[in-house]
Amino acid sequence: MTNGRDDILKVVETLVVEIAGDELLLAGPITMATSFNGDLELESIEFVALAEKLQHHYGAKVDFVGWISTKELDQIIALTVGELVEFIASCRS
Amino acid sequence: MPLVAANGLAFHVQEVGAGPPVVMIHGLLIGSLASWYFTAAPTLARSHRVRVYDLRGHGRSERATTGYDVRTMASDLAALTADLDVPFDLVGHSWGALVALRFALDHPERVRRLAIVEAPMPPSSVTEMAAFLATDGDLPDRLIDALPAQLRDAIAGGGRRSERLLQSLQFLLTGSSLLADLRNEPDVDDAELARLRCPCLVVYGDRSACAPAGARLARVVVGARHVVLPGGHYLHLDARDALTSALEEHLRG
Repeated sequence: MTNGRDDILKVVETLVVEIAGDELLLAGPITMATSFNGDLELESIEFVALAEKLQHHYGAKVDFVGWISTKELDQIIALTVGELVEFIASCRS
Repeated sequence: MPLVAANGLAFHVQEVGAGPPVVMIHGLLIGSLASWYFTAAPTLARSHRVRVYDLRGHGRSERATTGYDVRTMASDLAALTADLDVPFDLVGHSWGALVALRFALDHPERVRRLAIVEAPMPPSSVTEMAAFLATDGDLPDRLIDALPAQLRDAIAGGGRRSERLLQSLQFLLTGSSLLADLRNEPDVDDAELARLRCPCLVVYGDRSACAPAGARLARVVVGARHVVLPGGHYLHLDARDALTSALEEHLRG
């Protein structure tokens, strides 16, 4: 994993904790394989908050809503931290 | 613009996309702005400025103890759209569709096009409620039985998300006037529906208990376009792509 992705992963973890509290980390640190729905049990409204914070952090270049529009509902439900990190990395490259 | 003050409460509002404005309203209890945010809104945002908000007591909006009747919620909508200086499109699901309908009837000059998805008519027939209204039980077991299978399984599985959902349901059903407001909500009569003048799309699921309301609206609302999609009450989940296409087409006009 490149440094860029390490940094993005750190940002995602920080923002998730800001939204949902650090008890989410009791089961261990957030990794690329962690799923938002199954592992973190984020509520969908918390996931909206995460999208908003990511937009503030990275700016309009990271078009989260445009990305979501290309995904099936099942894919959104199964989304992992790694997929989100890869998406952000692809917007920045 | 996450938190916006309106009618003495803090409302969670999100906006995505650019173009002519469309406001999308979710249904009660298990609904939140995420109901649209992860379904039809991202596609509509390619050509519209899409505004979604959490109804009072729902999602991240303030937990109001009263005001779940359609007129109060339509006044919330009026306050949350007061800054829009052009007529806008309105899309509502379930109770949110009743709110959109009321707003369109009371403010015809503000609404360009209206899309009603699964509005329960009469209102007390709202699917999530029908079973629950029949009892005065204080646990939402019956409500949970009426949920889409995916959600029901998630709750049955326990865990953080289901605990939070149950807390929210508990507040709305036992700590607020929501149930009483629903029981007392009058139906919209045919004469009033016939006065609706904006182009109106009416979408219902072929397996939904609300489907007869769709046939009624199609008969009474002048020029209404009636679309029946495969699915139940939660059409944004059951028929996400087909519903999104129908909404896109309607808003394109």
